[in-house]
Amino acid sequence: MAAPAIETSGLDVGYPGRRSPVTVISGLELTVEAGTFLSILGSSGCGKSTFLRVVADLLAPLAGTIRVMGETPSAVRSGRGVGFVFQDSTLLPWRTARENVRLPIQVGRRSLSRMIDDRADELLELVGLSALSERLPHQLSGGQRQRLAIARALLGEPRLLLMDEPFGALDEITRDRLNDELLNLWRRTETTVLFVTHSIAEAVYLGQRVIVLAAHPGRIVADHDLRPLKGPDNRCSREDPAIVAAMARMRSALGAAS
Amino acid sequence: MNRGPLSPFAQTVLPILGAGSLILAWQVLLPLAGVPAYIVPTPTAIAGVFARNGSLLLSNLWPTAIEALSGFVLGNLAAVLLAVVFVHSRTLQAAYFPVVLFFNTIPVLALAPVVILIFGLGMLPKIVIAAVICFFPTLINMIRGLESASPSEHELFRVLSATRWEVFWRLRLPRALPMLFASLRIASATAVIGAIVGEWIGSDKGLGALIIQATFNYQSDRLYAAIVLSSLLSIGFFVAVVAAERWSVRYR
Repeated sequence: MAAPAIETSGLDVGYPGRRSPVTVISGLELTVEAGTFLSILGSSGCGKSTFLRVVADLLAPLAGTIRVMGETPSAVRSGRGVGFVFQDSTLLPWRTARENVRLPIQVGRRSLSRMIDDRADELLELVGLSALSERLPHQLSGGQRQRLAIARALLGEPRLLLMDEPFGALDEITRDRLNDELLNLWRRTETTVLFVTHSIAEAVYLGQRVIVLAAHPGRIVADHDLRPLKGPDNRCSREDPAIVAAMARMRSALGAAS
Repeated sequence: MNRGPLSPFAQTVLPILGAGSLILAWQVLLPLAGVPAYIVPTPTAIAGVFARNGSLLLSNLWPTAIEALSGFVLGNLAAVLLAVVFVHSRTLQAAYFPVVLFFNTIPVLALAPVVILIFGLGMLPKIVIAAVICFFPTLINMIRGLESASPSEHELFRVLSATRWEVFWRLRLPRALPMLFASLRIASATAVIGAIVGEWIGSDKGLGALIIQATFNYQSDRLYAAIVLSSLLSIGFFVAVVAAERWSVRYR
């Protein structure tokens, strides 16, 4: 039995403030099985992005313990175990699409082998951008830029993919299409995905499991396992009454908490 | 009225026509208005100086060009290096940035005699003055440029466990280039000003010296020719900087 992807105990998450630290989430108890697609749903300010940053070792926890695949977050980060997709694509504007995807093999203490170099083209193919690989980011649409950011995050074959509202700035049509593409990518890999969103529909459509966070103080107010509704390959229809009912339950969980 | 974009032909030709019409007005109207030639010589008289005294002008152009270029390179290089030090050490920045800020409030004209006292009358003091005048705007812009990467860009590099060195070469420096070039474009003109100011205070060659001599000898056609040449020198530097910018900042 593999170690859980995430295991926290009494975890306090927040920022080191000017005088004293600002706690956003306190006493978080969360275990996520490896390979899960987990949606983290919550309104602004509930600490969902902050939690993601603790998992990625971008922020130190204020208290409590967190293990990522049985290791400390910093060990996982320096071993290139995580990929991160930001809300803004964070592509470097002076690099072509292909060079942006290749960034992970050009920096970092553990440079990846030449073999992975070929994967850049494979990933560009996978996200449907082979023909545009020599374009600069400003010549691409918002959806194309986010596809590139995902390809870049997947280049090192991370065991854990952290996504911080990656489609938040996109129109709904593009967002729905990218949701399907993301699920297809996830099915091809054994990656665990932590997907942060403030869209109820997106959280339910994507996640095998959805946790709902509320703010002040940040805490888990609902935890839904959707696998009984979606089956092992995590497929569902947005119109399925069971899915619609799940969305309603989450909306009321969010409403009751605020 | 037609407010659409001009054709490329019109965009090229109109500025030439505009400048040409003003030069023509200068040539014809100023003598008619009775402005004496020792105050404002006509464009043809100035062109005549270029034809007659070309070698004199050229022999005075080189010292100024060398001083301005050397000052430009040294001043900007020092500014870039100090900016790199400052963004990597908050302690050094806190300790020395106010000093630099104070230094910048001293007018270059007031500083120039001191520089001449220290470095004598050769080319070196002019180079130093040109360097000083370039230094400060580039320092400020370069610090801001090196700090201009977004928080998520820094987070991206941290997720990839990039070293400080890699963050500098692959993130901070490329991010800083547009702002660096903005100040280099300004410095391309100020470096020439610095060299000429230095020559005013003590020199027997260079465009600055020529300007002073021509003024005292009432050779106003020669004075104007020196001014035109100074301007052409600045334009030359400016064009070179813009070409370098086009080559190195290809996005946007």
